[in-house]
Amino acid sequence: MARNKTGTKIGLAAATIAVVTAWYWFYLVDEVALPSDRSLFVVLFLLAAALGVLALVKRTSWFGAAPALLAIAIGLFFPVTMSVSEQIVARDTVIEVGDTVPRFTSIDGSGNAFDSGVLSGHLVLIKFFRAHW
Amino acid sequence: MSVDLPEVIADRRHLHGLTATMLSDQQLAVTDLFGLRNQGFHSAPGTEEAAALPVPATLLVDRDGTVLWMDLSENYQRRSDPSVVLAAMKTHFDP
Repeated sequence: MARNKTGTKIGLAAATIAVVTAWYWFYLVDEVALPSDRSLFVVLFLLAAALGVLALVKRTSWFGAAPALLAIAIGLFFPVTMSVSEQIVARDTVIEVGDTVPRFTSIDGSGNAFDSGVLSGHLVLIKFFRAHW
Repeated sequence: MSVDLPEVIADRRHLHGLTATMLSDQQLAVTDLFGLRNQGFHSAPGTEEAAALPVPATLLVDRDGTVLWMDLSENYQRRSDPSVVLAAMKTHFDP
């Protein structure tokens, strides 16, 4: 029983580290202030995951495993997303400063056809983003 | 411009009070015209059907269609602060 409590405590600590770090991550994302050097985040997330594993090794109560598993899931998820977040364009085809914007057609949010010809004569800001999420 | 379907655009734009023209490019036809298809790892929620995603980018274009300024994200988790875009607009659109 004492060992179960130790494992549960470690699991709770691990989950706390994971959740607080994730909360701060999303706060910085919302503020458009996520730093280029995210190594501290990687360290904290992996620490949370490691402590989650330790908690399971030390054995938790049956419900005490939940915080440990949560810490492992969060602690591994974020570093994985960081490792695949690099964006790469084909350098020989990407548009550059000085180029003329190609004529294009599309559909707007109301389902109406859009022709970029209407932009002629106007100063335009074009923003490409991944999706609503 | 994004891979969101028109109905998703219509459904979600009010959440952020967006009034700009928002266009759907799920087949990435326009994205490819601009050469902005991400060649790296394709990461997206399972509900998305797009074959790839555009690299987050912002372009300022003059009245003749010439690109004056461009900001390209090297990492989708990090974007330029809005103040950077506003400063570029002030420089290029209102010199």
